[in-house]
Amino acid sequence: MSIEITGLTKHYGETRAVDGISFAFPDEVQVLVLIGPSGGGKSTLLRLLGGLELPTAGGVAMNGTALPATEEGLREFRRRNGFLFQSFNLFPHLSALENIVLPLVTVHGWQRDEAVVRAREVVARFGMADHVTKRPAELSGGQQQRIALARAMAHGPDLLLLDEPTSALDPEMKAEVLDVVAELCEAGQRIILSTHEMGFARGCADEVVFLANGRLVESGKRDSLFESPQTEVVRSFLGRVMKW
Amino acid sequence: MKYAVSIFVSVILAATFCFVIWVVATHDYRWEAIAPYRWNLFSGWWMTLQISAASLVGSVAVGVLLTAGQLSGHAIPSFLCRVFVEVIRGTPLLTQILIGYYLIANSIGWDSRFGVGLVILSCFSGAYLSEIFRGGVESIPKSQWLSARAIGFTGVQTYRHVVIPQAIRRVLPASAGQFANLIKDSSLLFVISVHEFTMQAREANSNTYATFEAYLPLIFGYFLLTFPISLLSRHLENRFRYEH
Repeated sequence: MSIEITGLTKHYGETRAVDGISFAFPDEVQVLVLIGPSGGGKSTLLRLLGGLELPTAGGVAMNGTALPATEEGLREFRRRNGFLFQSFNLFPHLSALENIVLPLVTVHGWQRDEAVVRAREVVARFGMADHVTKRPAELSGGQQQRIALARAMAHGPDLLLLDEPTSALDPEMKAEVLDVVAELCEAGQRIILSTHEMGFARGCADEVVFLANGRLVESGKRDSLFESPQTEVVRSFLGRVMKW
Repeated sequence: MKYAVSIFVSVILAATFCFVIWVVATHDYRWEAIAPYRWNLFSGWWMTLQISAASLVGSVAVGVLLTAGQLSGHAIPSFLCRVFVEVIRGTPLLTQILIGYYLIANSIGWDSRFGVGLVILSCFSGAYLSEIFRGGVESIPKSQWLSARAIGFTGVQTYRHVVIPQAIRRVLPASAGQFANLIKDSSLLFVISVHEFTMQAREANSNTYATFEAYLPLIFGYFLLTFPISLLSRHLENRFRYEH
Protein backbone atom coordinates (compact mmCIF):
# COMPACT_ATOMS: atom_id res chain seq x y z
CA MET A 1 0.00 0.00 0.00
CA SER A 2 1.03 3.60 -0.38
CA ILE A 3 0.40 5.98 2.50
CA GLU A 4 0.31 9.73 2.50
CA ILE A 5 -0.32 11.77 5.62
CA THR A 6 -0.60 15.53 5.56
CA GLY A 7 -0.69 17.76 8.62
CA LEU A 8 -2.42 15.05 10.65
CA THR A 9 -3.49 16.40 14.02
CA LYS A 10 -5.49 14.99 16.92
CA HIS A 11 -6.14 16.96 20.08
CA TYR A 12 -7.93 15.69 23.17
CA GLY A 13 -8.81 18.93 24.92
CA GLU A 14 -5.44 20.55 25.65
CA THR A 15 -3.46 17.41 24.88
CA ARG A 16 -1.90 17.33 21.43
CA ALA A 17 -1.63 13.57 20.99
CA VAL A 18 -0.73 13.88 17.33
CA ASP A 19 0.52 17.29 16.34
CA GLY A 20 0.76 17.99 12.63
CA ILE A 21 2.41 14.86 11.25
CA SER A 22 3.19 14.57 7.56
CA PHE A 23 4.94 11.79 5.69
CA ALA A 24 4.54 9.92 2.45
CA PHE A 25 5.46 6.45 1.31
CA PRO A 26 4.48 6.56 -2.35
CA ASP A 27 5.65 3.01 -3.14
CA GLU A 28 4.34 -0.30 -1.89
CA VAL A 29 4.86 -0.66 1.86
CA GLN A 30 3.90 -4.01 3.26
CA VAL A 31 4.89 -3.53 6.87
CA LEU A 32 5.00 -0.09 8.47
CA VAL A 33 6.28 0.10 12.03
CA LEU A 34 5.72 3.00 14.43
CA ILE A 35 8.29 3.34 17.20
CA GLY A 36 9.21 5.88 19.82
CA PRO A 37 8.82 6.62 23.51
CA SER A 38 5.56 5.93 25.35
CA GLY A 39 3.10 8.78 25.10
CA GLY A 40 4.72 9.89 21.86
CA GLY A 41 1.59 9.50 19.76
CA LYS A 42 2.00 5.97 18.33
CA SER A 43 -1.35 4.67 19.52
CA THR A 44 -3.23 7.77 18.43
CA LEU A 45 -1.61 7.75 15.00
CA LEU A 46 -2.48 4.06 14.64
CA ARG A 47 -6.10 4.76 15.59
CA LEU A 48 -6.27 7.56 13.05
CA LEU A 49 -4.78 5.31 10.37
CA GLY A 50 -7.23 2.56 11.32
CA GLY A 51 -10.25 4.86 11.14
CA LEU A 52 -11.05 4.57 14.85
CA GLU A 53 -10.80 8.30 15.36
CA LEU A 54 -11.55 11.35 13.25
CA PRO A 55 -8.60 13.74 13.05
CA THR A 56 -8.85 17.26 14.43
CA ALA A 57 -7.10 18.45 11.28
CA GLY A 58 -5.21 17.05 8.32
CA GLY A 59 -5.83 13.82 6.46
CA VAL A 60 -4.72 10.34 5.54
CA ALA A 61 -4.75 8.79 2.08
CA MET A 62 -4.10 5.13 1.44
CA ASN A 63 -3.44 3.87 -2.08
CA GLY A 64 -4.38 7.31 -3.31
CA THR A 65 -7.80 7.36 -1.64
CA ALA A 66 -8.54 9.66 1.28
CA LEU A 67 -9.98 8.05 4.41
CA PRO A 68 -13.70 8.77 4.84
CA ALA A 69 -14.61 11.77 6.95
CA THR A 70 -17.89 10.45 8.37
CA GLU A 71 -18.52 7.84 11.06
CA GLU A 72 -20.47 5.63 8.62
CA GLY A 73 -17.70 5.78 6.05
CA LEU A 74 -15.08 5.03 8.67
CA ARG A 75 -17.10 2.06 9.90
CA GLU A 76 -17.03 0.59 6.41
CA PHE A 77 -13.30 1.23 6.29
CA ARG A 78 -12.77 -0.45 9.68
CA ARG A 79 -14.73 -3.48 8.54
CA ARG A 80 -12.21 -4.06 5.76
CA ASN A 81 -9.34 -3.98 8.26
CA GLY A 82 -8.37 -5.86 11.38
CA PHE A 83 -7.34 -4.29 14.67
CA LEU A 84 -5.49 -5.67 17.67
CA PHE A 85 -4.95 -3.72 20.91
CA GLN A 86 -2.54 -4.25 23.79
CA SER A 87 -5.01 -6.32 25.81
CA PHE A 88 -8.68 -6.92 26.65
CA ASN A 89 -9.59 -7.31 22.98
CA LEU A 90 -11.88 -10.28 23.44
CA PHE A 91 -15.48 -10.33 24.63
CA PRO A 92 -15.34 -12.15 27.98
CA HIS A 93 -18.86 -13.59 27.78
CA LEU A 94 -18.17 -15.47 24.55
CA SER A 95 -15.99 -18.52 23.88
CA ALA A 96 -12.83 -18.08 21.83
CA LEU A 97 -14.62 -19.50 18.79
CA GLU A 98 -17.69 -17.28 19.24
CA ASN A 99 -15.43 -14.25 19.49
CA ILE A 100 -14.30 -14.98 15.94
CA VAL A 101 -17.61 -16.21 14.55
CA LEU A 102 -19.74 -13.29 15.80
CA PRO A 103 -18.10 -10.55 13.65
CA LEU A 104 -18.04 -12.82 10.60
CA VAL A 105 -21.77 -13.39 10.89
CA THR A 106 -23.03 -10.01 12.09
CA VAL A 107 -20.58 -7.64 10.40
CA HIS A 108 -19.54 -9.54 7.30
CA GLY A 109 -22.79 -11.37 6.63
CA TRP A 110 -21.35 -14.89 6.49
CA GLN A 111 -23.47 -17.98 7.03
CA ARG A 112 -22.92 -19.33 10.51
CA ASP A 113 -21.56 -22.71 9.46
CA GLU A 114 -19.04 -21.27 7.03
CA ALA A 115 -18.00 -18.77 9.69
CA VAL A 116 -17.38 -21.63 12.11
CA VAL A 117 -15.29 -23.50 9.54
CA ARG A 118 -13.28 -20.35 8.83
CA ALA A 119 -12.81 -19.58 12.54
CA ARG A 120 -11.48 -23.08 13.20
CA GLU A 121 -9.13 -22.75 10.27
CA VAL A 122 -7.59 -19.48 11.51
CA VAL A 123 -7.41 -20.68 15.08
CA ALA A 124 -5.58 -23.82 13.97
CA ARG A 125 -3.15 -21.70 11.97
CA PHE A 126 -2.30 -19.77 15.14
CA GLY A 127 -1.84 -22.95 17.16
CA MET A 128 -4.98 -22.50 19.23
CA ALA A 129 -7.16 -25.34 17.95
CA ASP A 130 -7.41 -26.98 21.37
CA HIS A 131 -8.74 -23.87 23.05
CA VAL A 132 -11.73 -22.86 20.94
CA THR A 133 -14.39 -23.66 23.52
CA LYS A 134 -12.69 -21.74 26.33
CA ARG A 135 -13.75 -18.35 27.56
CA PRO A 136 -11.10 -15.60 27.52
CA ALA A 137 -10.71 -15.80 31.32
CA GLU A 138 -9.50 -19.40 30.89
CA LEU A 139 -6.74 -18.40 28.46
CA SER A 140 -3.29 -16.95 29.15
CA GLY A 141 -2.49 -13.44 27.96
CA GLY A 142 -0.57 -14.79 24.97
CA GLN A 143 -3.38 -17.15 24.03
CA GLN A 144 -5.89 -14.32 24.30
CA GLN A 145 -3.80 -12.20 21.95
CA ARG A 146 -3.54 -15.08 19.46
CA ILE A 147 -7.32 -15.54 19.50
CA ALA A 148 -7.78 -11.78 19.12
CA LEU A 149 -5.35 -11.85 16.21
CA ALA A 150 -7.29 -14.74 14.69
CA ARG A 151 -10.44 -12.63 14.98
CA ALA A 152 -8.74 -9.66 13.32
CA MET A 153 -7.53 -11.93 10.50
CA ALA A 154 -10.57 -14.16 9.97
CA HIS A 155 -12.32 -12.04 7.34
CA GLY A 156 -9.14 -11.54 5.33
CA PRO A 157 -8.45 -7.87 6.12
CA ASP A 158 -6.82 -5.54 3.62
CA LEU A 159 -4.77 -4.12 6.41
CA LEU A 160 -3.92 -5.32 9.89
CA LEU A 161 -3.31 -2.67 12.57
CA LEU A 162 -1.50 -3.81 15.69
CA ASP A 163 -1.23 -1.47 18.66
CA GLU A 164 1.63 -2.70 20.86
CA PRO A 165 0.22 -6.23 20.74
CA THR A 166 2.82 -7.66 23.12
CA SER A 167 3.28 -4.85 25.64
CA ALA A 168 1.11 -6.49 28.29
CA LEU A 169 2.76 -9.90 27.99
CA ASP A 170 5.68 -11.64 29.67
CA PRO A 171 8.69 -12.55 27.47
CA GLU A 172 7.58 -16.08 26.69
CA MET A 173 4.10 -15.01 25.65
CA LYS A 174 5.57 -12.09 23.71
CA ALA A 175 7.53 -14.60 21.68
CA GLU A 176 4.52 -16.77 20.92
CA VAL A 177 2.54 -13.75 19.67
CA LEU A 178 5.45 -12.27 17.72
CA ASP A 179 6.00 -15.64 16.02
CA VAL A 180 2.47 -15.46 14.67
CA VAL A 181 2.84 -11.84 13.58
CA ALA A 182 6.15 -12.67 11.89
CA GLU A 183 4.44 -15.48 10.02
CA LEU A 184 1.77 -13.05 8.82
CA CYS A 185 4.46 -10.62 7.65
CA GLU A 186 6.14 -13.37 5.67
CA ALA A 187 2.83 -14.41 4.16
CA GLY A 188 2.53 -10.92 2.67
CA GLN A 189 -0.10 -9.43 4.99
CA ARG A 190 -0.15 -5.65 5.01
CA ILE A 191 0.52 -4.51 8.55
CA ILE A 192 0.88 -1.27 10.47
CA LEU A 193 2.36 -2.00 13.88
CA SER A 194 3.34 0.10 16.85
CA THR A 195 5.80 -1.64 19.13
CA HIS A 196 8.57 -1.42 21.68
CA GLU A 197 10.13 -4.63 20.35
CA MET A 198 13.02 -3.15 18.42
CA GLY A 199 14.44 -6.50 17.38
CA PHE A 200 11.12 -7.45 15.91
CA ALA A 201 10.68 -4.07 14.23
CA ARG A 202 14.07 -4.43 12.66
CA GLY A 203 13.28 -7.89 11.39
CA CYS A 204 9.88 -7.19 9.85
CA ALA A 205 9.55 -3.53 8.93
CA ASP A 206 9.78 -2.12 5.43
CA GLU A 207 9.44 1.44 6.62
CA VAL A 208 9.81 2.84 10.11
CA VAL A 209 8.34 6.01 11.60
CA PHE A 210 9.72 7.43 14.83
CA LEU A 211 7.34 9.59 16.86
CA ALA A 212 7.92 11.65 20.01
CA ASN A 213 5.71 14.27 21.65
CA GLY A 214 3.08 13.79 18.96
CA ARG A 215 5.49 14.77 16.19
CA LEU A 216 7.37 12.91 13.53
CA VAL A 217 11.05 12.82 14.37
CA GLU A 218 12.37 10.60 11.65
CA SER A 219 11.10 8.15 9.07
CA GLY A 220 12.63 5.90 6.48
CA LYS A 221 13.65 2.40 5.44
CA ARG A 222 14.39 0.21 8.42
CA ASP A 223 18.07 -0.26 7.62
CA SER A 224 18.80 3.42 7.30
CA LEU A 225 16.79 4.30 10.40
CA PHE A 226 18.19 1.60 12.63
CA GLU A 227 21.76 1.71 11.35
CA SER A 228 22.31 5.36 10.70
CA PRO A 229 19.69 7.45 12.49
CA GLN A 230 19.84 11.10 11.46
CA THR A 231 18.68 12.69 14.69
CA GLU A 232 20.07 12.69 18.20
CA VAL A 233 16.66 11.80 19.66
CA VAL A 234 16.44 8.56 17.70
CA ARG A 235 20.09 7.75 18.27
CA SER A 236 19.81 8.05 22.03
CA PHE A 237 16.41 6.23 22.12
CA LEU A 238 17.80 3.29 20.15
CA GLY A 239 20.96 3.35 22.23
CA ARG A 240 18.91 3.05 25.39
CA VAL A 241 16.40 0.42 24.30
CA MET A 242 18.93 -1.76 22.48
CA LYS A 243 21.32 -1.65 25.46
CA TRP A 244 19.52 -4.44 27.35
CA MET B 1 -9.51 -15.32 64.94
CA LYS B 2 -11.53 -15.60 61.75
CA TYR B 3 -12.93 -18.84 63.15
CA ALA B 4 -13.92 -17.18 66.42
CA VAL B 5 -15.65 -14.33 64.59
CA SER B 6 -17.67 -16.69 62.44
CA ILE B 7 -18.75 -18.74 65.46
CA PHE B 8 -19.68 -15.57 67.34
CA VAL B 9 -21.75 -14.23 64.42
CA SER B 10 -23.45 -17.60 63.91
CA VAL B 11 -24.39 -17.90 67.55
CA ILE B 12 -25.76 -14.34 67.75
CA LEU B 13 -27.81 -14.79 64.58
CA ALA B 14 -29.14 -18.23 65.54
CA ALA B 15 -30.07 -17.04 69.03
CA THR B 16 -31.85 -13.95 67.69
CA PHE B 17 -33.67 -16.03 65.13
CA CYS B 18 -34.82 -18.59 67.73
CA PHE B 19 -35.91 -15.83 70.07
CA VAL B 20 -38.02 -14.14 67.38
CA ILE B 21 -39.60 -17.44 66.36
CA TRP B 22 -40.31 -18.30 69.98
CA VAL B 23 -41.94 -14.90 70.71
CA VAL B 24 -44.06 -15.02 67.57
CA ALA B 25 -45.02 -18.67 67.94
CA THR B 26 -45.99 -18.55 71.62
CA HIS B 27 -48.30 -15.54 71.28
CA ASP B 28 -51.88 -16.30 72.17
CA TYR B 29 -53.63 -16.06 68.80
CA ARG B 30 -57.34 -15.90 68.03
CA TRP B 31 -57.28 -17.46 64.58
CA GLU B 32 -60.99 -18.14 64.72
CA ALA B 33 -61.63 -14.38 64.62
CA ILE B 34 -59.83 -13.99 61.31
CA ALA B 35 -61.01 -17.26 59.76
CA PRO B 36 -64.06 -15.79 57.99
CA TYR B 37 -61.72 -13.39 56.14
CA ARG B 38 -59.38 -16.01 54.69
CA TRP B 39 -60.84 -15.78 51.21
CA ASN B 40 -60.60 -11.99 51.29
CA LEU B 41 -56.95 -12.34 52.22
CA PHE B 42 -56.38 -14.83 49.45
CA SER B 43 -58.09 -12.64 46.86
CA GLY B 44 -55.92 -9.74 48.09
CA TRP B 45 -52.83 -11.88 47.68
CA TRP B 46 -53.97 -12.83 44.19
CA MET B 47 -54.51 -9.15 43.32
CA THR B 48 -51.01 -8.32 44.63
CA LEU B 49 -49.58 -11.12 42.51
CA GLN B 50 -51.33 -9.85 39.38
CA ILE B 51 -50.51 -6.19 39.78
CA SER B 52 -46.92 -6.95 40.81
CA ALA B 53 -46.33 -9.25 37.85
CA ALA B 54 -47.79 -6.73 35.41
CA SER B 55 -45.85 -3.84 36.99
CA LEU B 56 -42.68 -5.89 36.92
CA VAL B 57 -42.93 -6.17 33.15
CA GLY B 58 -44.01 -2.53 32.93
CA SER B 59 -41.14 -1.31 35.10
CA VAL B 60 -38.56 -3.12 32.98
CA ALA B 61 -40.02 -1.44 29.89
CA VAL B 62 -39.98 1.98 31.58
CA GLY B 63 -36.49 1.33 32.94
CA VAL B 64 -35.12 0.39 29.52
CA LEU B 65 -36.71 3.46 27.91
CA LEU B 66 -35.34 5.81 30.57
CA THR B 67 -31.89 4.23 30.29
CA ALA B 68 -31.96 4.50 26.51
CA GLY B 69 -33.06 8.13 26.80
CA GLN B 70 -30.28 9.00 29.20
CA LEU B 71 -27.59 7.24 27.19
CA SER B 72 -28.89 8.40 23.82
CA GLY B 73 -26.32 11.17 23.59
CA HIS B 74 -29.03 13.65 22.63
CA ALA B 75 -29.26 16.50 25.10
CA ILE B 76 -33.02 16.97 25.31
CA PRO B 77 -34.23 13.37 25.81
CA SER B 78 -31.31 12.74 28.11
CA PHE B 79 -32.21 15.78 30.22
CA LEU B 80 -35.94 14.94 30.31
CA CYS B 81 -35.29 11.34 31.36
CA ARG B 82 -32.90 12.58 34.03
CA VAL B 83 -35.56 14.98 35.39
CA PHE B 84 -38.20 12.23 35.36
CA VAL B 85 -35.94 9.85 37.27
CA GLU B 86 -34.98 12.46 39.86
CA VAL B 87 -38.57 13.58 40.46
CA ILE B 88 -39.91 10.03 40.75
CA ARG B 89 -37.10 8.87 43.01
CA GLY B 90 -37.17 11.98 45.14
CA THR B 91 -40.89 12.09 45.99
CA PRO B 92 -43.14 9.75 48.02
CA LEU B 93 -44.89 6.96 46.15
CA LEU B 94 -48.03 7.63 48.17
CA THR B 95 -48.27 11.16 46.78
CA GLN B 96 -47.57 9.94 43.25
CA ILE B 97 -50.41 7.44 43.52
CA LEU B 98 -52.82 10.07 44.84
CA ILE B 99 -51.93 12.65 42.19
CA GLY B 100 -51.79 10.03 39.46
CA TYR B 101 -55.24 8.68 40.18
CA TYR B 102 -57.31 11.56 41.55
CA LEU B 103 -55.81 14.37 39.48
CA ILE B 104 -54.21 13.03 36.30
CA ALA B 105 -56.26 9.91 35.51
CA ASN B 106 -59.42 11.63 36.66
CA SER B 107 -58.81 14.61 34.36
CA ILE B 108 -58.59 12.34 31.32
CA GLY B 109 -61.55 10.29 32.44
CA TRP B 110 -59.65 7.07 33.16
CA ASP B 111 -61.20 5.16 36.03
CA SER B 112 -59.36 1.83 36.17
CA ARG B 113 -57.75 1.58 39.60
CA PHE B 114 -55.78 -1.45 38.50
CA GLY B 115 -54.63 0.28 35.30
CA VAL B 116 -53.59 3.50 37.01
CA GLY B 117 -51.90 1.55 39.81
CA LEU B 118 -50.02 -0.48 37.22
CA VAL B 119 -48.78 2.62 35.37
CA ILE B 120 -47.70 4.42 38.54
CA LEU B 121 -45.90 1.41 39.99
CA SER B 122 -44.20 0.81 36.64
CA CYS B 123 -43.00 4.42 36.49
CA PHE B 124 -41.86 4.40 40.10
CA SER B 125 -39.99 1.14 39.93
CA GLY B 126 -38.82 1.84 36.36
CA ALA B 127 -37.05 5.01 37.57
CA TYR B 128 -35.04 2.96 40.06
CA LEU B 129 -34.37 0.22 37.52
CA SER B 130 -33.13 2.73 34.96
CA GLU B 131 -30.41 3.83 37.37
CA ILE B 132 -29.43 0.20 37.91
CA PHE B 133 -29.40 -0.44 34.15
CA ARG B 134 -27.44 2.73 33.44
CA GLY B 135 -24.88 1.74 36.04
CA GLY B 136 -24.64 -1.69 34.40
CA VAL B 137 -24.06 -0.29 30.93
CA GLU B 138 -21.54 2.28 32.14
CA SER B 139 -19.61 -0.40 34.04
CA ILE B 140 -18.66 -2.15 30.78
CA PRO B 141 -15.00 -1.22 30.25
CA LYS B 142 -13.96 1.21 27.49
CA SER B 143 -11.83 -1.53 25.94
CA GLN B 144 -14.98 -3.49 25.07
CA TRP B 145 -16.56 -0.54 23.27
CA LEU B 146 -13.29 0.09 21.45
CA SER B 147 -13.00 -3.54 20.36
CA ALA B 148 -16.57 -3.47 19.11
CA ARG B 149 -15.86 -0.27 17.16
CA ALA B 150 -12.69 -1.73 15.69
CA ILE B 151 -14.58 -4.79 14.50
CA GLY B 152 -17.05 -2.51 12.73
CA PHE B 153 -20.13 -3.10 14.85
CA THR B 154 -22.83 -0.45 14.63
CA GLY B 155 -24.10 1.10 17.86
CA VAL B 156 -27.06 -1.26 17.97
CA GLN B 157 -24.86 -4.31 17.32
CA THR B 158 -22.48 -3.21 20.06
CA TYR B 159 -25.30 -3.04 22.59
CA ARG B 160 -26.90 -6.26 21.44
CA HIS B 161 -23.85 -8.48 21.21
CA VAL B 162 -21.33 -6.93 23.56
CA VAL B 163 -22.77 -4.57 26.16
CA ILE B 164 -26.15 -5.99 27.13
CA PRO B 165 -25.07 -9.63 27.57
CA GLN B 166 -22.33 -8.49 29.94
CA ALA B 167 -24.45 -5.86 31.68
CA ILE B 168 -27.29 -8.30 32.44
CA ARG B 169 -25.09 -10.31 34.77
CA ARG B 170 -24.09 -7.16 36.61
CA VAL B 171 -27.57 -5.71 37.06
CA LEU B 172 -29.34 -8.92 38.12
CA PRO B 173 -28.79 -8.80 41.90
CA ALA B 174 -29.81 -5.14 42.26
CA SER B 175 -32.78 -5.63 39.91
CA ALA B 176 -34.03 -8.59 41.94
CA GLY B 177 -33.91 -6.37 45.04
CA GLN B 178 -35.87 -3.71 43.22
CA PHE B 179 -38.50 -6.27 42.12
CA ALA B 180 -38.97 -7.35 45.74
CA ASN B 181 -39.43 -3.69 46.68
CA LEU B 182 -41.95 -3.29 43.90
CA ILE B 183 -44.05 -6.15 45.26
CA LYS B 184 -44.06 -4.65 48.74
CA ASP B 185 -44.63 -1.11 47.43
CA SER B 186 -47.80 -2.30 45.71
CA SER B 187 -49.36 -2.29 49.20
CA LEU B 188 -49.55 1.53 48.97
CA LEU B 189 -52.21 1.17 46.30
CA PHE B 190 -54.70 0.93 49.17
CA VAL B 191 -54.99 4.75 48.99
CA ILE B 192 -56.87 4.36 45.71
CA SER B 193 -58.79 1.34 46.99
CA VAL B 194 -57.08 -1.35 44.99
CA HIS B 195 -58.09 -4.44 46.95
CA GLU B 196 -54.64 -5.91 47.26
CA PHE B 197 -53.18 -8.05 50.01
CA THR B 198 -52.33 -5.40 52.61
CA MET B 199 -55.66 -3.64 52.17
CA GLN B 200 -57.50 -6.88 52.83
CA ALA B 201 -55.44 -7.39 55.99
CA ARG B 202 -56.26 -3.83 57.13
CA GLU B 203 -59.95 -4.43 56.59
CA ALA B 204 -59.88 -7.75 58.41
CA ASN B 205 -58.08 -6.05 61.29
CA SER B 206 -60.48 -3.14 61.55
CA ASN B 207 -63.44 -5.51 61.61
CA THR B 208 -62.04 -7.96 64.17
CA TYR B 209 -59.30 -6.11 66.08
CA ALA B 210 -57.29 -9.32 65.65
CA THR B 211 -54.23 -7.34 64.55
CA PHE B 212 -51.53 -10.02 64.51
CA GLU B 213 -53.86 -12.62 63.07
CA ALA B 214 -54.71 -10.25 60.23
CA TYR B 215 -51.18 -9.09 59.48
CA LEU B 216 -49.13 -12.26 60.08
CA PRO B 217 -50.35 -13.85 56.81
CA LEU B 218 -48.69 -10.91 55.03
CA ILE B 219 -45.29 -12.25 56.06
CA PHE B 220 -45.87 -15.57 54.35
CA GLY B 221 -47.81 -14.12 51.43
CA TYR B 222 -45.17 -11.54 50.48
CA PHE B 223 -42.29 -13.91 51.10
CA LEU B 224 -43.96 -16.41 48.79
CA LEU B 225 -43.79 -13.76 46.05
CA THR B 226 -40.33 -12.30 46.72
CA PHE B 227 -38.37 -15.48 47.42
CA PRO B 228 -38.88 -17.05 43.96
CA ILE B 229 -37.54 -13.83 42.43
CA SER B 230 -34.46 -14.15 44.57
CA LEU B 231 -34.01 -17.77 43.49
CA LEU B 232 -34.55 -16.94 39.84
CA SER B 233 -32.02 -14.12 40.03
CA ARG B 234 -29.37 -16.44 41.49
CA HIS B 235 -30.10 -19.02 38.84
CA LEU B 236 -29.73 -16.43 36.07
CA GLU B 237 -26.56 -15.01 37.62
CA ASN B 238 -25.01 -18.45 37.35
CA ARG B 239 -26.24 -18.87 33.82
CA PHE B 240 -24.69 -15.60 32.71
CA ARG B 241 -21.47 -16.14 34.64
CA TYR B 242 -18.40 -15.91 32.44
CA GLU B 243 -15.47 -15.06 34.66
CA HIS B 244 -13.75 -17.50 36.98
